Amino acid sequence: MTDDLQHHIALSRGDVGRYVLLPGDPGRCERIARRFDDAHLVAKNREYETWTGTLNGVQVSVTSTGIGCPSAAIAVEELVRCGADTFIRVGTAGGMQPGMQTGDLAIVTAAIRDEGTTSHYLPMEFPAIADLDVVLALREAARRTDVRSREGVSQSKDSFYGEIEPGRMPIAPALRERWDAWIGGGAICSEMEAAAIFIIASILRLRAGGVMACVGNPTMTPEEAAATMAAFTLDPVIDTAVEALRVLIERDGAPARA
Amino acid sequence: MALFEADGRLHHIAIKRGDVGRYVLLPGDPERVELIARRFDDPRFVASHREYVTWTGSLDGVEVSCTSTGIGCPSTAIAVEELAAAGADTFIRVGTSGAMQRDIRTGDIGIISGAIRDEGTSRHYLPLEYPAVADIDVTVALREGARKVGRRFHVGIAQSKDSFYGQHEPERMPIAAELGRRWDAWVAGGAICSEMEAAALFIVASTLRVRAGGVMLIFQNLDHRSPTAEERAAVDVERVIDAAIAGLRELIADDRARAASAGTAGVAATLGGGRAAS
Repeated sequence: MTDDLQHHIALSRGDVGRYVLLPGDPGRCERIARRFDDAHLVAKNREYETWTGTLNGVQVSVTSTGIGCPSAAIAVEELVRCGADTFIRVGTAGGMQPGMQTGDLAIVTAAIRDEGTTSHYLPMEFPAIADLDVVLALREAARRTDVRSREGVSQSKDSFYGEIEPGRMPIAPALRERWDAWIGGGAICSEMEAAAIFIIASILRLRAGGVMACVGNPTMTPEEAAATMAAFTLDPVIDTAVEALRVLIERDGAPARA
Repeated sequence: MALFEADGRLHHIAIKRGDVGRYVLLPGDPERVELIARRFDDPRFVASHREYVTWTGSLDGVEVSCTSTGIGCPSTAIAVEELAAAGADTFIRVGTSGAMQRDIRTGDIGIISGAIRDEGTSRHYLPLEYPAVADIDVTVALREGARKVGRRFHVGIAQSKDSFYGQHEPERMPIAAELGRRWDAWVAGGAICSEMEAAALFIVASTLRVRAGGVMLIFQNLDHRSPTAEERAAVDVERVIDAAIAGLRELIADDRARAASAGTAGVAATLGGGRAAS
């Protein structure tokens, strides 16, 4: 069974379910997996940690992607070879619209390809789009968990400090101008992995979506945003992502609608 | 703000504020506007100027309109800008398109969830990295509409191109090799159909915080063979109009339900995807 062992994630076919949650931080995998039944650690290699369990009797998994589209792309490619076909990115993001509050959930419908990985797959004109049914499952899950949420576009960037400290980058004016353009377009949150997950899912004909717990909004100073973190917890976004898996499992198992 | 003339008419589409409902169907062809508007209750002609013909009527008691965009993203962007200035906030493109996957058949319906920005207009609004994405609520309503009319349908990405003959006769273009490579990439990415207006509609809608979606009648001509008699019979444009009207009625009903529960469901439910609560 080791002949198909995947090079980076250290998994083989059967080690994961078709449904996989994708946090960035390996340190969050166990916390997420504790929501599954019969959760157990499957593998750990580099930034990739995987736990598998069940929900509603169906095998589900959580695998960390590490930070950024380069490592997220590898995770998705290799998870697919292990049998996964439905992905939900779960994590934290910066809020990008006025009026957003720390703790608001962003259900990601599409991503700005402000990163270098996806241009190795498709020309930039191609949109990075989430699967409609995954988006609807996340929306239903947010209703069930009763967390304030909105749907919209995420900026997937390659440089964390380029976002939070643009002034010290040599290309500061361009960073600021582009940031303002994304907000003008209506983007709701900024994170670092969704674009790659969505583009690869399109090519491989898989389903992907994402739900992010947002911190701050663009009218806040970094200090003001930090001050809102005292009451911040990851539980609502994790609960919502896990609930969305239940929704998908229920709907996938249901007889086809007329 | 869009350009108004001294008489209160918008510069290109020649309608005044209040001449249209919040819901507007957008065919490309001005000659299809009356055909579509005849499905409304009490349809009336509003204006005709250049390629822009507008009719207004009602559906299920709500004012709805139909305005042609002309061919291509440049004229579509103008139509959307001016219609929004006139009071519209929900747009559904209705038209025809070419299939981009082998399993799609002539007469199938395509619901556009996002668009490839293979055109020049939308980059005057936002850098190319930004996705041209349809509104979720509009897309869900159009999917339900397609289900209700009982047509085979596909939800997915459309290629929005600027050159019709660049797609249909790429071999005679000096950049033939590049056109071919890019087409193959769109197909590999999973694009379902090729048309010429959705990307500008979606990007302009994003910047204006209005809702947009699209429903297409698809023609399968990937193998360049002549259509069969059955296929020719299937290309009646009435088929996509049926789906668009059914989808619009779903959306009107969904919006009513959302407005009724807005007090408990919060801002996001009433404003929908990506629109700020400011």
